[in-house]
Amino acid sequence: MTKSPNRLLATVFGAVYLLVGLLGFTVTGGVGFFATDGGLLLGLFEVNIFHNVAHLLIGAALLIAGLSNVRAAKSVNITVGAAYLLLGVVGLFLPGQPFNILAINAADNVLHFASAAVLLAVGIGADKGVRTATV
Amino acid sequence: MTTTQLVEPAAPSAAPAHPAVIGQIARTWLGFAAMGAGMVHFALVITAPPALAAVLLLLGLAECGWGIATFARERLIAPRIARLGALLPVVLWSLLVVAATLLDAPALAASLTLLPMAVATALDLFVAVVLSRVLQRADADLRPRAAVAPSAGRYLIGLMAGATVVAALVTPALAGTEAGRLAQPHGQHDADFVPAPADDPSLDGLFLPEHGAH
Repeated sequence: MTKSPNRLLATVFGAVYLLVGLLGFTVTGGVGFFATDGGLLLGLFEVNIFHNVAHLLIGAALLIAGLSNVRAAKSVNITVGAAYLLLGVVGLFLPGQPFNILAINAADNVLHFASAAVLLAVGIGADKGVRTATV
Repeated sequence: MTTTQLVEPAAPSAAPAHPAVIGQIARTWLGFAAMGAGMVHFALVITAPPALAAVLLLLGLAECGWGIATFARERLIAPRIARLGALLPVVLWSLLVVAATLLDAPALAASLTLLPMAVATALDLFVAVVLSRVLQRADADLRPRAAVAPSAGRYLIGLMAGATVVAALVTPALAGTEAGRLAQPHGQHDADFVPAPADDPSLDGLFLPEHGAH
């Protein structure tokens, strides 16, 4: 695992997102599943229960891929990175809207863009000899 | 008796003896720098007059495209053309400023705000300097150093350091453009708030928080 940047990144990010997903439940007591106003994680990142579940699923996918093999890690890094990039762009228009079902705020957007940049850069740029899995 | 044989000198080869080789971490920095400069040039499009907007759009597309290709491909894509392309924005910007001064027409260069253009230029110059060093090594017929792949941890730390520096430069640059000013999170304002007249007695003792979003 320590020889592949994709596996290392997927494992580290997977563990971090799982932790963030679990910690999110400590600030979402009394918050609705799709509530547009959530609790503040670390006093900064707004989350609701749906957002926590998304973090848990993404963390699990990254961790499993990172612990599996390079091909899986590379594929999941690119897929999750692209999804975060899309969410980052869409998220710019979501705060304050009634359909903000992930309770996204500006700090979330920064984190989503940063995650997208790192996941996509490593997914596309590292382990070039390995082809990504096709669906 | 000796014969003299005329031997035509070999034509100088256009291609360097060795391909342009660059380390994996430095390549990620080049990619991030090119994409950062491209994003800033994109953001300046909306306030530029049409001709200048077209140039900025093309520059942004070229920089972002080359940046992504630098990540995705094994070798640097057209490093000589890329080096020229990286120097083009600063040359054009300088010419425009000189023309605006000579013609006493400040509006000519007014749309190219100082901070965003300075950041984009710094990133482009970084690309040009790194490419020059890589090409110098290839042109000097130096045997390229064996491409020692960094460890995964070192690669990730290098990549994140590059991303952090570029983000720290590009974020204030984008905020300094009209596109950045339009992207303020107005969605978080309370649309139901209606200010009361200042002399309204019902406001006595009422605490109103400072509005500091702008």
